[in-house]
Amino acid sequence: MGTNPRKENNSDKPKNETGKKKVQKLKAKNMEETLKRIEEAEAAADSSEDSPFVSGSDDSDDESLSEDGGSVSESGSDQSKLSEDEDVVQSSDGDNPTGASDEDNDHSSGDGVSEADDGDNYHGEDSHGESDDSREVVEESDSSEDEVAPRNTIGNVPLEWYKDEEHIGYDLAGKKIKKKERQSKLDSFLASVDDSKNWRKIYDEYNDEEVELTKDETKLIGRLLKGKAPHADFDPYAPYVDWFKWDGAKHPISNAPEPKRRFIPSKWESKMVLRYVRAIRKGLIKFDDKPKEESRLYALWDDSSSAERQGLAYIPAPKPKLPGSFFSSSDEFKPSTFYVKRRFTSLRTVPAYDKAVQETFDRCLDLYLCPRVRKKRINIDPESLKPKLPSRKDLKPYPTTCYLEYKGHKGPVMTISTEPTGQWIASGSKDGTVRIWEVETGRCLRIWDLGENIDQVAWNPLPELPMLAVAAGHDVFILNPRCGSDEQQKKIEELLHVEPQMATEDSGQYDWGQDDRHGGIRLKHFKTVTKVEWHRKGDYLSTLMPSDILFRAMNALIGSLCSIRESRSVLIHQLSKRLTQRIPFKTKGIPVSTAFHPTRSIFFTATKKDVRVYDLLKQKLIKKLEAGVREISSIAIHPGGDNAIVGSRDGKLCWFDMDLSSRPYRVLRCHPKDITGVAYHRSYPLFASCSDDCTAYVFHGMVYSDLNQNPLIVPLEILRGHSRVMDCKFHPRQPWLFTAGADSLIKLYCH
Amino acid sequence: MDIDENGGAGDVSSRQVQVRFVTKLKPPYKVPQASISIPANLTRFGLSALVNNLLQAANEDWNAEPFDFLIDGELVRMSLEEFLLAKGISAEKVLEIEYFKAVAPRKEEEPSLHDDWVSAVDGSNDGYILTGCYDGFGRIWRAAGICTHELDGHSGPVTSVCNVMPKAAESSIDQIVATASKDRTLRLWKFGVEESLDQPKKIRAFKILRGHTAAVQSIAAEPSGDMVCSGSWDCSVNLWNINASDSDGGLVSVKKRRKGGEDEEPQSEGEALTTLVGHTQCVSSVVWPQRGTIYSASWDHSVRRWDVETGKDSLNIFCGKAINCLDIGGESSALIAAGGSDPVIRIWDPRKPGTLSPIFQFSSHNSWISSCKWHRKSWFHLVSASYDGKVMLWDLRTAWPLAVIDTHKDKVLSADWWKHDSVISGGADSKLRISSGISVQ
Repeated sequence: MGTNPRKENNSDKPKNETGKKKVQKLKAKNMEETLKRIEEAEAAADSSEDSPFVSGSDDSDDESLSEDGGSVSESGSDQSKLSEDEDVVQSSDGDNPTGASDEDNDHSSGDGVSEADDGDNYHGEDSHGESDDSREVVEESDSSEDEVAPRNTIGNVPLEWYKDEEHIGYDLAGKKIKKKERQSKLDSFLASVDDSKNWRKIYDEYNDEEVELTKDETKLIGRLLKGKAPHADFDPYAPYVDWFKWDGAKHPISNAPEPKRRFIPSKWESKMVLRYVRAIRKGLIKFDDKPKEESRLYALWDDSSSAERQGLAYIPAPKPKLPGSFFSSSDEFKPSTFYVKRRFTSLRTVPAYDKAVQETFDRCLDLYLCPRVRKKRINIDPESLKPKLPSRKDLKPYPTTCYLEYKGHKGPVMTISTEPTGQWIASGSKDGTVRIWEVETGRCLRIWDLGENIDQVAWNPLPELPMLAVAAGHDVFILNPRCGSDEQQKKIEELLHVEPQMATEDSGQYDWGQDDRHGGIRLKHFKTVTKVEWHRKGDYLSTLMPSDILFRAMNALIGSLCSIRESRSVLIHQLSKRLTQRIPFKTKGIPVSTAFHPTRSIFFTATKKDVRVYDLLKQKLIKKLEAGVREISSIAIHPGGDNAIVGSRDGKLCWFDMDLSSRPYRVLRCHPKDITGVAYHRSYPLFASCSDDCTAYVFHGMVYSDLNQNPLIVPLEILRGHSRVMDCKFHPRQPWLFTAGADSLIKLYCH
Repeated sequence: MDIDENGGAGDVSSRQVQVRFVTKLKPPYKVPQASISIPANLTRFGLSALVNNLLQAANEDWNAEPFDFLIDGELVRMSLEEFLLAKGISAEKVLEIEYFKAVAPRKEEEPSLHDDWVSAVDGSNDGYILTGCYDGFGRIWRAAGICTHELDGHSGPVTSVCNVMPKAAESSIDQIVATASKDRTLRLWKFGVEESLDQPKKIRAFKILRGHTAAVQSIAAEPSGDMVCSGSWDCSVNLWNINASDSDGGLVSVKKRRKGGEDEEPQSEGEALTTLVGHTQCVSSVVWPQRGTIYSASWDHSVRRWDVETGKDSLNIFCGKAINCLDIGGESSALIAAGGSDPVIRIWDPRKPGTLSPIFQFSSHNSWISSCKWHRKSWFHLVSASYDGKVMLWDLRTAWPLAVIDTHKDKVLSADWWKHDSVISGGADSKLRISSGISVQ
């Protein structure tokens, strides 16, 4: 606490230090009384203020007096050193105005001095009286290193020990230090009265000498008493200067490595843990939320507690029936009307329940044999299950309205076929006629009466060779409708001219003969031909004779002679060479329809169960399409060649994506009755199906060139108006649909 | 006096409108110019009766005549009150109502019987009617039931007929007509109008135009009469030179008709001058209204305008439906009317910038439109024939048909105006019907 002022004093004057040391030594001794005196003196000085001038003169007097007094006091020979010091201090006190002016002004000191006389007397008396008391305190004074060794070397022994001695102790040389002679009380009193500075004088018992405090020292003591910092310059409320720059600190404040204690387990914590463990073992700490131990056994047949069991898909067994007419507890619980109430004389006479075994057995059987399934009810908005289909308006054009009717047939129209340019259509009816109609006016251009049921008509797909193949009864006619130009007509006539000997050359079953009456070729078959299909190049045509069982047996006999692997029901004719051949594959089942692939040499045969796809060049089966329907009735191949639709007799329409799978890509259950015909549009993404239920459906069937995208099928329109629709065909160039009805009409539905 | 009574009776229930009747008709049809107050609930028939009464007041022996009424360019088809409300016309002012004779056939002539379906009629010459028939004959009818000539030669049904030089040759002896047929040929015929015979005279074509590879569907002659053009199922429009004078003998191969035998007339053959290629389907109708432009309609859903000089199409209107018939007419002969595979007659104005959507659509028919023709004088009138057996008269100023002629028993295949006041039509009932007495202004 004394460092700061000391330093400053050092800088000012080294001689001041000794004074300070003295002060420090003494401060503990009788500081309190001294300070009290100082306070009182100051308080008196504050209260009464005299002229500064007087005080100033006083001050000067004091100085002179003190010098005198100093000289007086240093009379002792032994105390030469101290006297010197004293001198120095006092001189400094007087001579050096800076030391005083720093912390004090002359006025205050002067003030204090002006009234000092009264106080001096008083203090003078006290100081002597109290000096005895304060001796004990001296021992406690701490010795600092830089302190000059005291004159007396007795150390910290009680001073009473030297009370009765003549000396007070020993000096460094080991000689006794003699006690000073005491002034008589009267003398000292007089001296103190004379000396104005007497109040500042303190008797040092230890060294047996009187010490006079300087002004600085008294003020320092005053500040200490007030609890302030000892040095006057110290400002406890100095403005805070923040030495840390808060902004932009890139690095941590401390770069010191992590201390080791952060890595080693804490001993204290381990002790705590140990304590807890012991407490738990002793049972002092208990846990309430301990999970209950579930018993692993449960009553299998118990039905009461089953509700809260949460086994995997556990379903409580139904409650057993109450026993029948066994109990006769009361009339209210009559289980059945057949219950006959009987009364027994005692419980012993009550017979055993006769059905007990049976009912238990039934119950067990019921539990065992009837697996109980929890019905999962899912709440789904039925609207959300609908596939997101584009609006019909965006898929225009498609046929919607019937504008034209082609009237003239006398019987149900069984089949129609459109000419590839779209100028004419041909139709075959049960009345035995084949008619050619002009599409745009509905005029019948030509009629052939073939006299038999017409099962199929087919225009040659080549627009430059307008020929018509007609399946009528056992015959296939290739007719010349005389629609083309003159050169075309010539070509057709050449094609349709058969020399008679060629007919005989061929085998007896397939007879190429000229039909003069109708102007065409007559191909005789050995049984009813139901389908005629042209190859896309217009030279080959396939005919289909679905053989019944009896015939198949006969065929088997014949077939054993010739090649077995051939099918007799499907024939392929070549028009230009007048050749007839069987397809070189064995077909299983009864074929109902055939189709040529629109671009490749692939042949489709639809039997009642499935569709078989043959490669005509490699002569082998490529694929089998499983429709999964009861009975296939018709087939149509998409103009792209990779998709097909199959209509069935149970009203299902199956779309096959042949690249995707051999199962239907989509099954449309639209018709309640037999589907009689299906058709693709040649250029528009449309397909249609017609049925015995008097309707024809038009669908949007978009096949994308992107192989990753599945075909888009959207039902578009239901076309009504016929009694039964026997066949439907699209106009080759317009989005129009022709339908042939059993009401002997052909209708044209336009967009 | 009747008017006052009418007005008095209607006074209780309805409001009165101040009207003034104006007309462009000649004096016997003119009513006084003074404005009169009439009940607002009068319909067209009430107005017609009113005007007739006014006329009768001026003229004692007046025969009632149906009138049609025009307010602000719109024909009155509902009650006057509703009409004013719908059009937002103020009833406070004096309303000017223009009236004219109603456009409706007043007389139905005797049907002219044919042997087969009448596929084409042409009434562009006032002196006669030209018809084409499915039996391969073309016929010239001087009046209803009087056939003067039979054009014999086609081996297939005649699909289209047209008069070459219909106006210039009206008085001359020799008339030239052209026919198109499904036998892929066009034939040109020459005959004299003045000859009157008891029996129809059979004439032969003086020129056969071969070149189409499929049935010819339509034929049209240039206004000056030098050329014809034809549209066919082979998707092309061919242009042919007529050369009535047989001057270009070098190109023409002269031969005698072998089958006919008895007729020794020389028949020349011609080839197509140019082919306008662009349609992708059957060209169902061609029109040649001006020298340099040909309009064609096709089943490929488009109407195209061709520049004859360059052979390029300068306009392509996409319709969305297969088109069967086409005609150019109306206001300054610029509007395109077409009908096709739906019961809507569409009228385009190619001069209208921006859109190529029809400016008018008439849809009172029930089936395909087989024919539509503009009146040659009027800007507003149009006749249409449909497969539903009806012939309808249209005015652009109202959305309802002016008159419906349903005398045909079957499909009507063709219809045309004749002598500016008659409508001729031929249909699948093998009859040519003439409805006359239509007073188009």
